[in-house]
Amino acid sequence: MVRYLRDQIDPRWAWAPYEPDSERPWDLRLAGHVYRRAGFGATYQELQEALRAGPKATIDKLLQGGDGQEAFDRECQTMAEAIQAQADDLPLRAWWLYVMLYTPHPLREKMTLFWHNHFATSQAKVLNVAYMLRQNQLLRQHALGRFGPLLQAISKDPAMLIWLDTVESKKGKPNENYARELMELFSLGIGHYTEADIRQAARAFTGWEIKQDRFFFNRTQHDATSKTVFGQSGPLIGEDVVRLCLQQTACASFLARKLFRYFISETLAPDADLIEPLAKAFRDSNYDVKLVVETMLRSNLFFSDHAYRARVKSPTEFGVGLVRSLNGKVGTIGLAQAMENLGQKLFFPPSVKGWDGGTQWLHSTTLLQRQNLAQAITSTEDQRFGRRCDPAQLIKQQRVPEQDDAAVVQFFVDLFLQNDLPEEARQRLTLYRRESAKHRYPPFWTEEDVREHRLRTLAYLVISQPEYQLD
Amino acid sequence: MIHRRAFLRNAISTSGLVAWGCTAPRFLQQTAAATPWLGEAGTKDTLLVVVQLTGGNDGLNTVIPFKDPLYAQYRPTLKLPTAPLPKLNDQLAVHSSLKSLADLYEQQAVCVVQGVGYPNPSQSHFRSMDIWQAGSLADTLTEGWIGKAMAKIPKAQGFHLAASNEAAPLALAGAPAKVPSLTSLSEFQVRTFAGSAQDRMQQKRIIEGAAEMSQAKTPALLDFVKQTAVSTYQSSQRLQEIAKSYQPKVPYPASGLAERLKLAAQLIDADMGARVFYVTIDGFDTHANQLDLHANLLQEVADAIAAFYKDLAARGHGHRLLIMTFSEFGRRAKENGSKGTDHGSAAPMFLVGGRVKPGVAGEHPRLDRLEDGNLVHHTDFRQVYAAVLEQWLGVASKDVLGGTFKPAAILA
Repeated sequence: MVRYLRDQIDPRWAWAPYEPDSERPWDLRLAGHVYRRAGFGATYQELQEALRAGPKATIDKLLQGGDGQEAFDRECQTMAEAIQAQADDLPLRAWWLYVMLYTPHPLREKMTLFWHNHFATSQAKVLNVAYMLRQNQLLRQHALGRFGPLLQAISKDPAMLIWLDTVESKKGKPNENYARELMELFSLGIGHYTEADIRQAARAFTGWEIKQDRFFFNRTQHDATSKTVFGQSGPLIGEDVVRLCLQQTACASFLARKLFRYFISETLAPDADLIEPLAKAFRDSNYDVKLVVETMLRSNLFFSDHAYRARVKSPTEFGVGLVRSLNGKVGTIGLAQAMENLGQKLFFPPSVKGWDGGTQWLHSTTLLQRQNLAQAITSTEDQRFGRRCDPAQLIKQQRVPEQDDAAVVQFFVDLFLQNDLPEEARQRLTLYRRESAKHRYPPFWTEEDVREHRLRTLAYLVISQPEYQLD
Repeated sequence: MIHRRAFLRNAISTSGLVAWGCTAPRFLQQTAAATPWLGEAGTKDTLLVVVQLTGGNDGLNTVIPFKDPLYAQYRPTLKLPTAPLPKLNDQLAVHSSLKSLADLYEQQAVCVVQGVGYPNPSQSHFRSMDIWQAGSLADTLTEGWIGKAMAKIPKAQGFHLAASNEAAPLALAGAPAKVPSLTSLSEFQVRTFAGSAQDRMQQKRIIEGAAEMSQAKTPALLDFVKQTAVSTYQSSQRLQEIAKSYQPKVPYPASGLAERLKLAAQLIDADMGARVFYVTIDGFDTHANQLDLHANLLQEVADAIAAFYKDLAARGHGHRLLIMTFSEFGRRAKENGSKGTDHGSAAPMFLVGGRVKPGVAGEHPRLDRLEDGNLVHHTDFRQVYAAVLEQWLGVASKDVLGGTFKPAAILA
C-alpha cells in the first residue's frame, strides 16, 4: 500500500506551519483530523470549540494538555497500586484504556502508546504485571521528553531486561537479544550496524540484572574487557553502547521516519529530503520529542491530502475514539476484552517489532469485530458497556431537531466523520432515517423506545461507513 | 409479558445475528470436485497448507545429527539424549516431541529438507521473515510468494487461519482478491440492529452498499477498506452454513495450532474451492531456557499436523494435500550462556502429504564448517518454493520468484 511519490514534496513547504486559506480552510474536517492524530478523537463539544479557536490554539492546547492533570495522575496512581498486586493482566489493560479515555492530556497518552509499540514488550513473556505497569509509567514519563534518557532508562527497565533476556547475559556467555533489537528496532534500523557490532555490544550488557525489583549491575558477571562498537574501542559498558547508538546519524532519521508514519501518513514513503529537516531538529535539540511532534502537527503537510485519512485507525484508536465521541463513560474491562478480538491486546504486542499497523490492522475478522463492537456500544443493550454510550442521549443533549431527518443524519455524520462523506452515502442514510419511521416495531415498545432505537441504529450505520476505519 | 430489553437481547443473540451475502461470490460456489484434474498449470486441485514457525526454530535440535560428536560439544546443556529420539536413518534423528511426525515419516508421508537458507542470511527476525514470505531478497518487499502465485491461478482462493492477535501475512499479499483471515467461523458475521426483516435488510444494504459504492477518485487506503469489506461480507454467509456440520475423523489435540488446522480441514472438506491455507505458530525465539519451551512447541506442531493430515487423509484428501513448514532462520550452532540459542541461519523444512518424496533431502549442514558460528545452507528456500509452485500448484516459478531456481526434489 505504500505509495511512492513521483512529484516530490518540497520539504520547506511541508514543514512550514499551516495557515488556513480559502483553499484549505479550517473546518470540521481538519479539526477532526487534529483530534484523531494528536489524541483519540474528539467529542462534539471539542469539535465545536476547535472550530472557534482555530488550528494554532487547538494544537497549543493538545500539546500542553488540559487542566487537572496532576489530580488525574494521582487518581490513576491510586488505581495502579491496586492493579499491580494482581497476577491477572486484564485490570492492567483496562487501566490503560481508562487513562486514554479520561486523560486531560490525550497527546501524552498517544505518545505513550507510540513508545509501547516502539519498545514493544509483552507480558506473555515478562509475566509480571507490576513490571509491565512500571514500564508503562516510564514511557508516559518520557512520552514527550528527550529520547536519550528514555533509551537509557528502557535499557535498564525490569520488564525489558526480562523480555529481551538481558538478565540471562553473563560474562563469557553473552546473550545477543537486547543488543540486536537495541540497534535494529529501537535506535538505528537495519543497515546501520554490523553483526560484529551486535556481538561486541552484547558483551557490554553482561551482568545487567534485577535485584529486589530494581536494575542491578553485577560486576562479577560483567565482561569488562575491551569491545569495539561502531569503530569505538574500550571497556564499554551498556550505557556506552546506548550513547554510541544515540551518536549515530541514522538514529535521528530512524525515529523521525517512525514518527512520520504515526502522525502523518502510512501510505506515503517519505524520501530522505523530506525526513531530513525533522532528523536535524532531533539532532540539534538533543532528541527533543515534543519539538518534533509539534513541528509535524503544525505543518502544511499534516493538513494536506497527503496526511488526511492516510492511516488506518488502530483498534485502540477505534475503540477509545468511539467511546469518546459518544461522551461515553464506560467501565473499561469489557473494552479491554473487546480490543483483543480487534487485534490489539495492549501489553501483548505480537513481537518486539510491535504491531505492524497500517493495512495490517484490517482483515475480514478484525473488520467484522470492529463493526460488532460499534453495534454493541451504540445499542446500549450490551452488558459490557451499558447505557452510558448512548447516541440517543447525545441527540437530546445537543437539541438536534429530531423531526428533521436530514439534520439528524448531519449530526451523526459531523460527529463521527466530521462531515466528510460522499453525497450518495449521505442520501442513503437520510432515506433509511425516513423509512425507519415506517417500520413495524414490537407492540410493547413505547414511542420513546422506537425513537431511541431509530437514533441508535442510525448512529451505528454512520460508524459502519468505510471512511470511519481511517484515521 | 416479555420485557422489551429481553426481547431485544434475544433477538440480537439469535436471529439478530444476520449473516451477510445475498449472492455468494463465484469462488464460494465453485467446488473442488468441479475442478478438472488436467495435470497442467493452474488446473490442479492440489492443496497447499503453509505452517509458519515464528521466531526462528532451532533446526539443530529439530533434526539431529546424533552421531556427530560436535553436536554434543556445541550443546552442553541443550543436547538431547540419543536413546529416545525417533531415528530417520543411522545418522539422523528428530526431536522426541516430533514422534507423531516420525510416525508419518514411517508411513512415507514426510519429506525432510535439510540445510535450507539463502545467501548472506539476515539475522533480523523481521527482515528474514519478509524474505521468506516474499520469496525474494529485494530491498523493498511488498508482495508475498503465495499472493503472487494466486495471481497466476484462475479463481484461486485461500484462507489465513489467524490467531487472535495476528495480522495477515505478507506471504498472501498480492493475491487478486484479498485473502480472508479467519479466527473462528462462529464470529465471522456482522450484527445489525434488531428490527423487522425489512429493517434489517435495509441496514444491511447500507453497510454493504457503502463498501461497494465507487467514487471517481477513491484514495488508495479507502479503496483498501472497501475491498476488505466486500470480500468479508460476501464470504460470511456460506461460512455460517458450513460451520455447523463438521465432525473430525480423528481427535485433534487441544492447542491453538490444532484449532486453526481443524478450521482449515473444515473449509477443505466443505469443498469451497480454496487451495491455499496459511497458519502460524509463534514462540520459537528461544534465547534462554530453551529445552522445555522448544519441546512443547515442537509437540504442538507435530501433533497438530499429524491430526490434520490423518483427518483429511481419512476423508480422501491425502493425495491432494501438501503441508509445508518453515521458519525465518535456524539458530546458532553453539548454545549461548542462557541455556538458549541466538539467531542463526540454515535449518530444515518439513513437507507432509500423500505425494511427497518420502525421506531426507540433502545432507545435514556440516557442524565442522560453520560461518560466523552458523550452519551453512546448501539448498536455497526458493528451490523448495520452485518445486511447490511448478509441481504442486502448477505455476511457473520464474514469474513468482523473479529468477530461475532448480526445484528441490521433494515431490514424488
